[in-house]
Amino acid sequence: MRLLDMLRYRLRVLLHPGRHASELDEEIRFHLSLESMQREHAARGALSATNAQWAAQRRFGNLTTTKEEAREMAGLGFFDTTEQDVRFALRSFRRSPGFTAVAVLTLAVGIGANTAIFSAVNAMLLRPLPFEAPDRLMQVSLTVPARGDSPGRDDIPWSYPKFAVFRKAQTIFTDITLWSASQGTIRVGADAERTNYEVVDGHYLPTFGIRPAIGRNFSAEEDATPGGAKVVILSDAFWQRRFNADSAVLGRSVSIDGDVFTIVGVLPAGFRGISGRAELFVSYMSQDAQMLNEPFSHGWDMIARLGPGVTPERAKVVVRQLGGVVADAFPNPRIKNERWGAIARELDRTRVDPVVRRSLLVLLGAVGLVLLIACANVANLFLVRAAGRRREIAVRLAVGAGRRRLVRQLLTESVVLSMLGGVASIVVAWWGVKLLAALDPTKTLRINLGGIGAISFQSIRLDPAAFAFAAGLTIVTGLVFGLVPALQSTRPSLAGDLKTETARFAGTRGLTSRNALAVVEIALAVVLLAGSGLMIRSLANLIGVRPGFDAERVLTMRFNLIGVGQDSMPAFYDQLVTRLGSIPGATDVGLADCPPLNGGCNGTILVHRDRPAPAPGAEPNVGVHWVTPGWFTTMRVPLRSGRVFANSDRRGTQKVVVVSETAARRYWPGEDPIGRPVSVFQGGFDVDTAYVVGVVGDVRFGTLDSLPEPDVYLSYYQSARGRMMMFVRTAGDPRSVIGAVRREVAALAPGVPLYDVRPMRERVADAMGYARFSATLLAAFAMVALALAALGTYGVISFGVSQRTKEIGIRVALGATRQNVLRLVVGQGVGLAVIGGALGLMGALATTRVLRSLLYGVAPSDPATLVAIVVVLVVAVIVASWLPARRAAGVHPAEALRS
Amino acid sequence: MTKSTGPSKSELLKGTLDMLILQTLTVQALHGYAIAQQIELLSDAVLSVEQGSLYPALERLQKRGWVTSKWGESPTGRRARYYTLTAAGRRQLGDEISDFDRVLLAINRVMRRA
Repeated sequence: MRLLDMLRYRLRVLLHPGRHASELDEEIRFHLSLESMQREHAARGALSATNAQWAAQRRFGNLTTTKEEAREMAGLGFFDTTEQDVRFALRSFRRSPGFTAVAVLTLAVGIGANTAIFSAVNAMLLRPLPFEAPDRLMQVSLTVPARGDSPGRDDIPWSYPKFAVFRKAQTIFTDITLWSASQGTIRVGADAERTNYEVVDGHYLPTFGIRPAIGRNFSAEEDATPGGAKVVILSDAFWQRRFNADSAVLGRSVSIDGDVFTIVGVLPAGFRGISGRAELFVSYMSQDAQMLNEPFSHGWDMIARLGPGVTPERAKVVVRQLGGVVADAFPNPRIKNERWGAIARELDRTRVDPVVRRSLLVLLGAVGLVLLIACANVANLFLVRAAGRRREIAVRLAVGAGRRRLVRQLLTESVVLSMLGGVASIVVAWWGVKLLAALDPTKTLRINLGGIGAISFQSIRLDPAAFAFAAGLTIVTGLVFGLVPALQSTRPSLAGDLKTETARFAGTRGLTSRNALAVVEIALAVVLLAGSGLMIRSLANLIGVRPGFDAERVLTMRFNLIGVGQDSMPAFYDQLVTRLGSIPGATDVGLADCPPLNGGCNGTILVHRDRPAPAPGAEPNVGVHWVTPGWFTTMRVPLRSGRVFANSDRRGTQKVVVVSETAARRYWPGEDPIGRPVSVFQGGFDVDTAYVVGVVGDVRFGTLDSLPEPDVYLSYYQSARGRMMMFVRTAGDPRSVIGAVRREVAALAPGVPLYDVRPMRERVADAMGYARFSATLLAAFAMVALALAALGTYGVISFGVSQRTKEIGIRVALGATRQNVLRLVVGQGVGLAVIGGALGLMGALATTRVLRSLLYGVAPSDPATLVAIVVVLVVAVIVASWLPARRAAGVHPAEALRS
Repeated sequence: MTKSTGPSKSELLKGTLDMLILQTLTVQALHGYAIAQQIELLSDAVLSVEQGSLYPALERLQKRGWVTSKWGESPTGRRARYYTLTAAGRRQLGDEISDFDRVLLAINRVMRRA
């Protein structure tokens, strides 16, 4: 009951503070009128009404104090005091615009950068996946044990027959689906375009909790027969774009790579599949029946939804057992006793590639350090300012202001300042988020990176979570940088502070705190410098990598040839190469099926025809590439021995292959590979024997930072293929021939879209995307940190000089030279740098280890980098203390002593 | 801007004032002015509180749940806020009186011996 009364009272006061105040006014007015009436009455006319009112007020006491006290009692005093303090803070900031601008700007950069990186971390690592009940989704993969020189893997996708066995045997998942991302030439009417789509089964949409907005999902029959009905479901975006959101779209058709698909449904807006990019969803049963029936054709990812009450842990155990069932059903025909397995993991854990996760966390740490430095800097500014206000504070302490009260007011000041910074930081954050999306290092590297496409840098935005983060950070920041100066400057002190003269020399205690802050700033900046230095070295190493070809002035573009028979393809290549070669400005032309530095190229096993067959599973793996004879010249891939393909190596003539240096070294160590008979299990080279005719230099087809793999080249003329990438070397800017190339291709193959049109140089740059992304951002943070630390050092030294003007004057009067004074002041700065630098180096050695997996060709404790940053630091500090030192050296003794 | 907390005398007074207010409310609900009048009247004008300090005290008592208030009509027809003692307030008053008696007793003993 009492609790209820108390609660009711408090709610009334807090929810209606205005009404509370006016009621109190009314109550007091009522009181005063009764009192004055009573007095007037008691005096029997000897007292005028006005005098009676005056008397009543005197009897009542101080009206304002009473009201204030009543508000204080009611619990509203907090708000009054805060409002007062905020006003006071704003007034004092207006009086010192320079200080305010520097502090707000520093904080805006610090908080804004943190908010931007947090948005990225939130979108990429934290925010729930954009599917229904995402925590119930699991990804299931096949595993294969290590064998020979290939390590074991636990991320192998599924084949349809294995999936069918798994699905039949399992009982723990309610929904279980297969999907695979693809790209094709889509035609609606006459317009062709290159489009991303997903091949999925009928359980795909229910697994993610999606229902078609128009039409239906794939039916049970459409889901049952390999090579069955060709049906397609459109994404909302594709439906809007290509069908103008026509609701009568069902039953119409879309052509994908020449096959006609019937539209059965349209999805709700927003859903673009798990790849995040799909425009269409095609029934997997429409795929080649032969491929669906092949148990070792692994190309499908499996996603499953946990049944009610099944924990992820339980599912992992069960899936492991089911892996055995699948392996029993499909033993590897070539390798006896090789046990495949299956593994389940939470879908959320696969959301981004580990490299992305690690770089984002490193950046978050780095940007946090930047904010700490910013805090130290602003705290420093506050201390300097507080030193200027010692008199004011001393006076207020002397006239009885409580220390707690003063600390509170100073903290209010710092929080208000921080809030100004927080508001300004929104601009920085907004800009930073745009920058992050533009820098998107995953955009071009998709194929090399794991992770879910739906989670991308494009999904980074300033959402309520980011604003909440910024708001929280702002307040914490304000308290962090405000606390030390507030406690420091209100320490109950010395009446001496009241006397200006002594105040000049009394700054020593503040000086110590300021020195400590400068040391902290320098140390943190060193840690950041070390991290960014390592990333830059790593990037430089990547740039220095020779990829095995010359990327300058080469235009690349892809297209897929559809509807041309195997037999007429060689003639097509001939014509294409001739036509492209005749374009003015084009010097060389070549075709290849898979561009360098792209990853995801073909690979298979190599068999030596002149040696006994190795144990099954021990056959060497090689990359297989289709090229035209001119490709090596076009890309300036050097010939090491023998010859490259000739135009006369055709279908029906002796099959020949060219191998890379690494392949030659690894498979024919100490021998000459030229003339050796081999078979590769692709492109019709598995039955026939082919002969090695040449060895060429290594080309990095995977990533820049992985060593070249052994590669085998086949000629398009001996093994026709519809998938090709054209490489055109030009005399000038490679972009200048794009139009001509399009015209020539269109003349030869009308309606076949060209895509992925880019200079080779850009592809090389993209291959360094990640390293460049991390290095750029870390370097930017480190530069900000260094600038702030230099500014902080400058502030401390410069303030120290202004405090010691008199002392320096005395020194000069006693015979100190200009040199002595310079050395004195710069020496102080160098002292700070030595302590800060030493602490920072220790910090760097302790923390740069987290960078290990992001570095290429440089150790986390690389001495050269550490020495370099120490040099940078010392130079920065000397510059920062040089300016105040010069001022000190210019002190005229007479003036200094007189002032 | 900062109010000085006065000497210990007012601390004593503050506690006493709360007790006096609670006591005046034991008979019936009263408005602020009537409480002031009542205290003055009952103590034969010996205890005359500074009337203004009544209102912060009333806020305090409400915050602790010993007193509740309600707007009503005064005999003159004007709106006035009437304060009522709650059950908790009554218990509190009992505690305070016995504390006070103990202190009074102790003081008396000291004074007599001196």
